[in-house]
Amino acid sequence: MILDLHTHSIKSDDGRAKVQNYCQWIRAREIPIDGFVLTEHRQFDAESDYQALAEKHGLCILKGSEVETEYGHVLVFGVTDALVRAFDFTDIYLPLARVVEACAQYGAVPVPCHPGRKRVGMSAHLEEHGVPEGVRIVEIYNGGSRATEDEVAQAMATELNYLGIGGSDAHIVSHIGRCATRFPADITSESELAEALRGSDFEALTFREPAGD
Amino acid sequence: MTIERLQDVEFGEELPVFAPDTGLANVKRFALAAGWDGPRFTDHEAARAEGLPGALVPGIMSQGFLAAMIHRWAPEAQIENVDTVFRAPVIVDQSYTISGVVTDIDEDAGKVEIDLTVSNEAGETRVFGTARVKLPS
Repeated sequence: MILDLHTHSIKSDDGRAKVQNYCQWIRAREIPIDGFVLTEHRQFDAESDYQALAEKHGLCILKGSEVETEYGHVLVFGVTDALVRAFDFTDIYLPLARVVEACAQYGAVPVPCHPGRKRVGMSAHLEEHGVPEGVRIVEIYNGGSRATEDEVAQAMATELNYLGIGGSDAHIVSHIGRCATRFPADITSESELAEALRGSDFEALTFREPAGD
Repeated sequence: MTIERLQDVEFGEELPVFAPDTGLANVKRFALAAGWDGPRFTDHEAARAEGLPGALVPGIMSQGFLAAMIHRWAPEAQIENVDTVFRAPVIVDQSYTISGVVTDIDEDAGKVEIDLTVSNEAGETRVFGTARVKLPS
């Protein structure tokens, strides 16, 4: 099963895509993914119910979050009510250690995203803050990053022995599915996704065309 | 081929790719006309002295390019909104392409939504956004 693990809808302040149009686009363009995770900025969107939309289009639609720490932005998978109460998702100065600790306590998985980018990526903060405890996975393919930024992410993952995931970081409809992650088994819920990410059997994918093509 | 009516538009339809003129002479003309003729838009060296990678194409000029692209595709379109997110600066004298694709059609309202992406020669997205456009029925 292939999931785009990093997408934003109009629920995010800089998102411009309606979820129904993501679904329509994936099917119309035959984008090779089976679903996607909505990782809205600085929030967990508990209120939206995409089940009917998912069934209509035969897609898996899950929800996570993208929070902000001193190491840059971090995707959180397997968000629960308890996790939402554990720290302030809207805080743009969250200590990564607090996020990692809370995720461990409540069964969620933190994944620093676009870690090769300046300012909002983890690699830019390693010199100042050191290698963080508790990070196992980073996003090595990000559909919104430059090729050189993904190369930094991949080099960091190799050096620090991190696992890698891929996500499009789509903010508009036509950018969904540029990068994704393959899992060997079907995933149907946020908790199953978190369980799969707690293991190591997944593979980051990119569907972007090489530059110059 | 240009679009004349809403009924001519299909979901997923791509607008003809547009290569805007981001040359210094054109940007200078625009900046002067818009009252944005500061050196960061019209002088590479002055822009670099400000820590920028080169003279910038003004954001409103980039938005103008997006509108021009839409009107080349649908001359009768009424552009209600162009909503852009600037991910990185658009630099004068560098080559860019603008792509657009229809991602929503509201037949009742007679409107379409278009994804817009400004990419550099490396294929990197510099600006993205959406436009809401009303078309004749």
